[in-house]
Formats: sequence, structure tokens, C-alpha cells
Amino acid sequence: MAPALQASGIVKRYGPLLANDGIDLDVARGEVHAVMGENGAGKSTLMSILYGMQAPDGGTIRLDGVAVRFRSPAEAIAHGLGMVHQAFKLFSSLTVWENIVYGREPRRGPFIDGAAARRAAVALAERYGLAVDPGALVARLSVGVRQRVEILKALYREARVLILDEPTAVLTPPERDVLFAVLRRLVVDGRSVIFVTHKLDEVLAISDRVTVLRAGRVAARMTTRETSAREIVRAMTGRVVADRPDRVSMPQGAALLHAEAITVRGDGRVLVADANLSVNGGEVVGIAGVAGNGQTELVEALVGLRAVASGRVQVNGRDVTQSDVAARREAGLAYIPEDRAAVGTAPTASAADNLAMGFHRRPPLRRGWKLDGTAVRDWARRLIARFDIRIGSERTPVATLSGGNMQKVVLARELSHAAPVLIAEQPTRGLDVGAAEFVHGELLAERARGRAVLLVSAELSEVMALSDRVLVMFGGRIIADLPAAQADEERLGLLMAGRPGVAA
Amino acid sequence: MSLPPRVPSVVLAVGFAVVAGAVLVAASGGDPLAAYWQIAVGALAPDNLPNTLNWAVPLTGMALAVAIPLRGGMVNLGGDGQLVLGGLVAALVPLYLPLPGVLSMFAAILAAALVAGLYAALAAWGEVRHGVPMLISSLLLSYPAMGLASYLSGFPLRDRSSGLPQTVMIPPDARLPPLGDVLNVGAFAILVIAIAVVVFDRRSVVGYELRLRGLNPRFARYGGIALGRQAVATMFASGGIAGLTGATIVLGAQFRFTDGALVTPNYTWSGLMAALLAGGEPVGTIGAALFFAALQTGGFAMQRETAVPRVLTMVLQALVILFLAARHGLRRRAAP
Repeated sequence: MAPALQASGIVKRYGPLLANDGIDLDVARGEVHAVMGENGAGKSTLMSILYGMQAPDGGTIRLDGVAVRFRSPAEAIAHGLGMVHQAFKLFSSLTVWENIVYGREPRRGPFIDGAAARRAAVALAERYGLAVDPGALVARLSVGVRQRVEILKALYREARVLILDEPTAVLTPPERDVLFAVLRRLVVDGRSVIFVTHKLDEVLAISDRVTVLRAGRVAARMTTRETSAREIVRAMTGRVVADRPDRVSMPQGAALLHAEAITVRGDGRVLVADANLSVNGGEVVGIAGVAGNGQTELVEALVGLRAVASGRVQVNGRDVTQSDVAARREAGLAYIPEDRAAVGTAPTASAADNLAMGFHRRPPLRRGWKLDGTAVRDWARRLIARFDIRIGSERTPVATLSGGNMQKVVLARELSHAAPVLIAEQPTRGLDVGAAEFVHGELLAERARGRAVLLVSAELSEVMALSDRVLVMFGGRIIADLPAAQADEERLGLLMAGRPGVAA
Repeated sequence: MSLPPRVPSVVLAVGFAVVAGAVLVAASGGDPLAAYWQIAVGALAPDNLPNTLNWAVPLTGMALAVAIPLRGGMVNLGGDGQLVLGGLVAALVPLYLPLPGVLSMFAAILAAALVAGLYAALAAWGEVRHGVPMLISSLLLSYPAMGLASYLSGFPLRDRSSGLPQTVMIPPDARLPPLGDVLNVGAFAILVIAIAVVVFDRRSVVGYELRLRGLNPRFARYGGIALGRQAVATMFASGGIAGLTGATIVLGAQFRFTDGALVTPNYTWSGLMAALLAGGEPVGTIGAALFFAALQTGGFAMQRETAVPRVLTMVLQALVILFLAARHGLRRRAAP
């Protein structure tokens, strides 16, 4: 029998860059097929070609043995493909069923047949164990449930091959398990799933086969049962990577970052409720939690980007509650923000401009009212060399860099402040194994220099590997403060799902 | 992988506009070559060049007034109001504040820039403190300013000997000294401002902060730039230049404030287009302002010499912008 989806010799060029260099991918009917690879390995390009968002420069795609050529996602959908993107594409002001049937509404005369649409949504949801309330407003749903709506949307359009792009990035461990159960039912039903991910344990847990990409080519094709995490990593990176960073024990210093009873309100809701935390010198404190439980708002309140309704913030012994961002940075705060392209850099600006920010108001970059152009360039060249940022020159816009290199720009700038307090928010999101390893090493080096590091991450493995203490946020509250030894995955998972009673 | 240089796309847009304009002239029974020849001669012939420069001075001033906030991603649509306030204040200071001649002139210029600057800063303050979008408020604030000027020049401060809504003439020793037949010292003032804006944009800490804000305001805020204070200061500078431009016209050419005289030539909107054409980059803005000034001055000559109305030059101006926008739009779509 022909494979459900067969791509052969896919080639895609962007100028001098060969994003896909003759990629072959076979996805059998009824299998979960993982596609792994570091950033820039060509996963996204390949998926966008399969889904008709881009035309390949070469190669063919066959569905059930029949050659196809899509000019748009609409054509791909008509041929039985579905894709759940990382950023969901739902109308949040509409209900679940309206989202599911959108574009293919059952009609009665000129009107939408709401009752039939609901029935169809309910039937699909029951068949695959996707628990959702069809009448609920999407805006009110949690991220995990929204993802189910996305999957239902694809199934309603009769997707036989479903592409999931990093589907677990936004889920709690229990939600992830639900998703995996759904995927198993889908493949039993004869559908195929292409599962794009960075996470090894998930690949091992859910997939039947793995295709590993590296630098636009297929580096390995494996059957999951016959391989190991180590082998997959070696295929992805071309080398052996340490499982866990080394962490020496450190004598702890004074509390360098201290927050008391922080409450943040916004949109008429309490986003952070009465949060207390303290980070000592020589300590990494991790904040675990599913995205959207107040971590972002808490961090913004700490760095001065968001006003607090009440509470106090101290940096390096100074009360900075009333201070703006500049004064807090002056007091000794460096910050690696969650979104490096939207906040951490000005992507269209040169690396020199990006690396100067925060240093531009004092010598040697500043000379009187002037910004010394030579000093700015020298400074940038020094940081580029020290952090091994792969970039043409300091004049190159950072938008052209890979995720890992762009993060190095942020890291280089923030670490150069040598600030007593470092707040790192999702510092390895979207980074490949090698780049993540580098970031982890730098964070631990900060700790070894006696600085206080507050790490916010949705990756449990990252929080557990780096932290001396772990705080868990749920619904805007810090609901647990655990020493690293007591913070195991099961316990944190339950806490992240807001069930401290069970976890205790 | 930096963007290809800007100049070719501008040249191309101008080329397209010229061709489209020629088709338009030909279709309405005119001779496109003659029309363009008259524009060129009218703008650039040695006899006409001073006129072109005289038109370019206020246009450049108003273009810079838009370009400065635009560099930081802000739009000042209130140029008309700021221009009129500057002109009004510049006329009133020499008339009602008894200072000796040259001192009176300087006081008038400074007061004009200050008042117009504060008025523009008001729009920024409204956005920072009360969330009123500056795009709207700067435009709306123009109307009360123009209304006030219209009332003052039409009633309490009107020159009784004249039938027009205008103030009396300011004393000769408070006027800007002439440079040749047409130009006056105001041209120097705008030249100095233009140089200062370019230098600040390229070399100064303030220019760096404004440019980075324009590229990504969230990054600027994260880096410690106080966006509110920056917006107010930027708009103050912008309004100040608009006010100064108004002062140079009143003190250098018209010698009195006449209701509507500053607004009718449309310096504000031509300046806005010049600044938009260059994306707020100062050197490009100045170049575009000079180009538009030449086009408009040439338009008068064309209207005099041929049957083609001067409105053609405004059409050309609009087409240049549209073609340029279309090109950039296309490029964005073609990018991966």
C-alpha cells in the first residue's frame, strides 16, 4: 500500500541558503511520525511546503500514491491535510462550534444550520475523546482546550494527515497525556500524524517512527522502538551532548532580589496575587508553571514594565518599587525577556545598535551628547567575538540570525551588565539542543559568580536541571516553594495543574 | 542580507509617476513634453531658482517637523496648527512687546517655537497620560489653534485699515533681513535646523534612542528608555520647528499675520508626504522636500506657459508616493 504521504527530493532555496536539500519523508497510514531537528534544520520549511504555504523548488509530494501540487493551504486541506500551528488560528470571540465549522458551514438555505453544526462538532469530539463544550466561547478556554478545537477543526475538514507543530509547548503534563491519548485514537482510526517537536521524551513516548533533519537534509530515519534518546540527539547535533549541565554547590549570599506581596491587576482581573519571592546570590530560583498563569506579569512587575497594584520590590538592597526600568537596571538588574524578537531586540536594527542598548548612556559609548560610533562598533565586535555570535558583521540586522544566535545577542548584552540580579524568562524557548546547552552554561556561570538568577520556564526539565529552589505559579499565585531535591516531575506536574492537595 | 538600497526604488517610483502623468496630460489633449519642460525650466532656470528655494524653505521646515517624530514611529498631523500658532506669535511679539529691533526679532522667533512646541507636546502628553491617540489628537488640536488665530486676526487684533483679517505690519527692524530679491535670512535658520537634525539623528544619544524606538518601541522600553518623556520631548522639538517655520514666513516674507496665508500653500501636507517618502530619515526627507518644492514651483510656470493646470504636479506627487508604497508592499509579500 502506498504511504499516506510521501515527499521525495524536496528542495527549497532562500537566496544562497538551502533550507531543504533533497528531503525524503514517508508517513504511513496509521502512524505517528515525529520530525525532529535543531532550529534551522528545515522542519518549518518542510511543513509549510507540505501544507501548501510555499511552493518547493524541486521534488514531489504524493498522497496515497497520487502526485499532488498545492498552491495554497486551501488546496492542501481539500486533499485531506490538516495542520495545527504553534500559534492557534481561532476566532476568540466566536464559540467552539462556530470555529470548527468555519468556512464549511452546514447550511439551510442561506443560513447556517447551527443545530447540525453543533451535532457534527459533538459527534467528532466524542469519537476521538476530545472533551470540549461546543457552545463555549473560545476566549474563555484554556490553551490546552483551544488546541483540541484546532484539532477538531482539522478533523471536521476530514484531514487524513494531521501536522502538529510543537503541540506540547503550551501544555501541562496532564494535558499532554490527554493529547497523546487523542493522537493514539486518531491513528487507530487510520489517520496519520506528523509530529514536529524538539522534545525527546515525547518522541519516545508517542511516535512510531522518527525522521531527523540536520542542515536541510535527512540525518537519520529511525523506528522509535529500536532507538534511544542519545542516538536521536547525536543525529540532530552530529555530536554527543551532556544530558544535564554540571552544577556545583555554591555558598549562598544575601537576598539580591526580593519581592513582597506583589499584586498585579489588568483587564479587570487579578493577574498576580500576593506573590512573595526572594533570590539569594549564588542561587538559581526557578518558576515553573503553564504559560499564562501570571509568570509574565510577575516578571514585568519586577523589571518595571508593568505597574503593581500593591507590594514592594527590592533589587540589591534598594527599594525600586517606584522606579522605572532604567533606575531598576541601574540598581542592578539584567533581564532576558521571553520574546527575543518582540522585546529583546529590534530585529531590523543592526547588531551594533542592539548590543549598545543600555550601555549607550555612559562612557565609553557616550561622549557628552554624542554616541561614539567607533566605540559602539568596537563594543559590538567584542561581544560578538566573546559570545561567538555567528553573524556577518556588526552592521548586519539581527533579524537575519537564527533563534540561537539572536538569543546570544540578548544574552551577550544582558550578561555584560554584570548585574547582581539576572531574570531569565523562557531563555531557551525555540532553541536547539546545542544553543540551549550554551544558555544553561551561562546561567550557571552567573550563579557561580555569586549572582542571583530567577529563571522562568515552561520546560520542567530545564527548571529541574538548573534550579536550587523551584516555585510553582498557578492562577496568579505562587502555590509552592520547593527545594530542588523535592521537585520531581510528577509533583511539579500536579502543582502546575493547580492541584497542590494531591501533590503534597 | 540587508535590504537593497532605497534610491533605486525611489527613482523607479518617480519614473512611473512621470510616465503616468504624461499619459494623463496626453489623454486630456496636452503636450506632455512641453508640460515637463516648463516644469523643469520653471523650477531650475537661474532666474527661477530663488523662487524654488523660497518655496523649499518652509516645505523643508514642515517636512522635518513630521520627520522627527516619524523617526520614532510617531505621527504629528498637527503641523497646520503649530505653523499657524508660530506665525501668530511671531507677529504679535514685535507688535505688542516693546523690545528694540533685532532683539524683538529673536524674541519673536523663540516665542513662536516655544508656543508651537508646547502645543505639539500637549498632544503627546494626552497620549502618555490619558491614552488619547496622538495621530488623532495632534490633528484635532490644529482646529482650535487655527480658530483662535482666525478670531484674533479677524476681530480684536485686526488691522482696521485693511479689509482682510490680518494684523498690522510689524516694524521693519523686527523683520528678517532679505537675501537677494526673494529669499530672506529665514532660509539660514531652516538650513541650520536641517543640519542639526541630521547630526542629531546620526550621532547623538537622543537620536539613537529615537531611532531604536521607531524600530521597536517595546525593545526601547525594555532597554530603559522612558517612552512617555521621549514622546513629549520629541513632539516639543517637532512643534518647535513647525512654529519656527511659521515665524520665518511671517517675519521674512509676509510681515504680518494674515488668516489662512500660512495654511493655503499646503506646506504641512507636502512636508508630510516628503517625510513619509523617506520614512522619516532626515537626509532623504530634505531631498524629498526639495524635489516637491521644485515640482510645485515648476507647476506654477507650467500653468502660466501651457494649458496644463498646476494640479498635475500634485497628482505627480501623489503618484510617486503610491508607486513607492506599492513597491515596498510587493517586496514585503515576496519575502519568505
